[in-house]
Amino acid sequence: MLAAPFGVAKASESPRPVDPISVDSLPKMKGELTLYLGRGEGGLYEQILDAIKQRNPALRLKIRRGPSTALANTIVAESRFGKPRADVFWAIDASSLGMVVGTTEPEVVSKDLTALLKPEYRYERWLPISGRIRTLVYNSQRLQRSSLPSDVMALAQTDHSFGWAPAYGAFQSFVTAMRLIEGEDRTGSWLESMRERSVDFAGELGVVMATSRAEVDVGFANHYYTLRLRQGKPESPIDLAFTANDAGCLLNTSGVAILKPSTLAEDFVRHLLTVEVQSYLAREAFELPLLDGVENPDGLPSLSELQPPRVDLEKLGDLKPTLSLLRRTGVL
Amino acid sequence: MKSHSPTVVLSLVIGLVVLAPVAVLVSLASGAELDSSGQSWQLLFNTLAVTGLTVFGATLVGVPLAIATTHCDLPWRNFWLALLVAPLAIPSYIGGFTYFAAFGAGGELGEVFGFDLPEVRGLWGTALVMSLYTFPLILLTTRAALKQLDGSTVDAARSLGASSLFTLWHVVLPRVRSGVAAGALLTSLYAMSDFATPAILGLDTFTRVIYVEYNAFGLDRAALLSLQLLIVIGIVLWLESRVSTDREQAQRAFELPLSRPARWTALFVILAVLLAAIGMPILVFGIWLVREGGASVNPALVWNTTYPALIAAIATVVVGLPVAYAAARGGLGRWLERMVSVGYGIPGIVMGTALLYVGLRVDWFYQTLALLVVGHVLRFLPLAVGPLRNAIRQSDGNVIAAARGLGAGRFEAFRRVSFPMIFPAAVSGGALVFLEVMRELPLTLMLRPTGLETLTTELWQVYEAGYFGRAAVPGVLLIAISSVAVLLMLLGERRVQYGGAR
Repeated sequence: MLAAPFGVAKASESPRPVDPISVDSLPKMKGELTLYLGRGEGGLYEQILDAIKQRNPALRLKIRRGPSTALANTIVAESRFGKPRADVFWAIDASSLGMVVGTTEPEVVSKDLTALLKPEYRYERWLPISGRIRTLVYNSQRLQRSSLPSDVMALAQTDHSFGWAPAYGAFQSFVTAMRLIEGEDRTGSWLESMRERSVDFAGELGVVMATSRAEVDVGFANHYYTLRLRQGKPESPIDLAFTANDAGCLLNTSGVAILKPSTLAEDFVRHLLTVEVQSYLAREAFELPLLDGVENPDGLPSLSELQPPRVDLEKLGDLKPTLSLLRRTGVL
Repeated sequence: MKSHSPTVVLSLVIGLVVLAPVAVLVSLASGAELDSSGQSWQLLFNTLAVTGLTVFGATLVGVPLAIATTHCDLPWRNFWLALLVAPLAIPSYIGGFTYFAAFGAGGELGEVFGFDLPEVRGLWGTALVMSLYTFPLILLTTRAALKQLDGSTVDAARSLGASSLFTLWHVVLPRVRSGVAAGALLTSLYAMSDFATPAILGLDTFTRVIYVEYNAFGLDRAALLSLQLLIVIGIVLWLESRVSTDREQAQRAFELPLSRPARWTALFVILAVLLAAIGMPILVFGIWLVREGGASVNPALVWNTTYPALIAAIATVVVGLPVAYAAARGGLGRWLERMVSVGYGIPGIVMGTALLYVGLRVDWFYQTLALLVVGHVLRFLPLAVGPLRNAIRQSDGNVIAAARGLGAGRFEAFRRVSFPMIFPAAVSGGALVFLEVMRELPLTLMLRPTGLETLTTELWQVYEAGYFGRAAVPGVLLIAISSVAVLLMLLGERRVQYGGAR
């Protein structure tokens, strides 16, 4: 069973160099707030929202759930017809936010909100909430971690078999990042040489499951699928490896855009950036906290050991050239 | 036959409303450019192949089961029927994922048995799984046609010494061909518009490419691809128009007696199908439930799932009636029926987007239950029209004419004479819509009022996040609701039939 988000975290648990705030310091919210929530995370986000509602009985929170891309398309359509409904959009990936922010141009986020985040996660018109990192998941009965290069581009020179999910948003963000870092040509030839030894799956959970069944040696997937599968089946022969400073360990984030600015909307977002919510997301959903002083989830190295590349996450929404490249190389 | 013209005018209007989303697609698609690659022919081949195989598989399962549960003296006939229709309430991604996870090396089922099972993937796997979750469409439409059959011809054949099997093949089946064809058409439209099953089992179809474009914010290209898919749908509708049968008036019901071994075989087949379509997902998700625990389900979800589906089912039957009447007259009416079938073949996400643009033009309509119901009516209209049209074609025109001659008005003749004759078809059509609305996801997510959560949206949430243990309870609840609904439908059908016979 799940623990209540606000019940477990103790303020004294970890040192906090940058002063993350606690829910206790926040004012009580009241009034009506419409939240468009990209994917529900199966009750985990639910627990957070329930806890927020419980602490703020005068808050009437209306939640519309859907896939992040569908909600992004909806928000764009609403703004085109001049009928915006959502106060806040909480999306699971930066590309949906980049798309919404690029088309609807919401107001600049106030400085005291962005200041809560680590400097590299501060954006002008939206706020990252939690991170997910690209990983190589490998079958530990088939190979050793040492046989995996620390450069994602060098994977093309190994003779492992791979599992990937080219139609899946997170994979497309990874290829977009590779395009931005390495350029079209290198990405194209990487895809071409990888293609022959890669098996397609519909989603990245499928990739991780196939790796644990030894259908493939190595899979491309966001980190939490492996952690969740291992939580259910601890005997699974899978482990995580990380490349360094390249698209292979891209750190993508979930995040929020405030579409109709108000004190209430800002207070709501501030709740998501408290130490309690952040450590709850890390503990229960295996998400990477983006504040100082909150521990990474179990099973992941600390963020200081990981070396994600510097990428403008808003540019990950530019998927058209990525799809063209994936098609041209026969991957999609 | 001047008296029927209002139905044609009305169904013309309905047809135009159904085509409104297509007009939105055309405007969304303007200016879109597709990467030309050699994949298009492969896509077309895959889409047609999986559609053809699914129709074949669903017919192979659906037609014999329709006969067994309608005319054979099986114990607990209605109980089996209620369970056999339940696969229609299981969302396609649940079915697809069940077979992905259960079979193949290291699959869940293999771990239970201790050895690996062959994998269910690709073209054959997709067709197999889709057949398991569409055969009730054929079962119900065939059953509606069987209910209308005149038992005297069957008795005549049997009194002349024909065996049950011979009678079935030469007397019964040729006369329910249009019922089977109606179900086959629905199955093929479903197979073309479904996204999750082929995506999970690794088959590239039109719909999968549409989803990829949509999810990459290429709304224009998704719309353009949908218009291409519409051409394929047009060809399938034309094929269906080649199948027709003579009308016939029902006199009395008939039974096909079964020998003891035949009865056991029938029960065995029913059990095997139920195990594959319902037992398997319950088993697989049950394994996860035991392994990682579940979570409580809000009981309000049961009601939230049921009432919008009920409203949509009734609305669809009401809207479908004039179309069915027009279609029963043939000619233009049949083409209007094909026109309203288009909605079932458009992938839900595309239909949802189109209706979103329609809804945004009318402020008080946007994000209301009314818009959601309209969306479901437009999408599922052919499910109700097919059985209704067949029933109307086969109902006795002389009796209606007599009622009118005795002074009954058009409405009274309909209420007291026509309606009881077509009621069983209205109920099966409505039941099909009810079950499809319950499992429908993309349209519901896009059009629902903010805050309306159903068992299906709950299932989607936990599934997307990979918490499969929590999918078990909502899944079982969906199956339970659908079985109860079908049992109620069978009871209502019996009452009207016996009431009408007095």
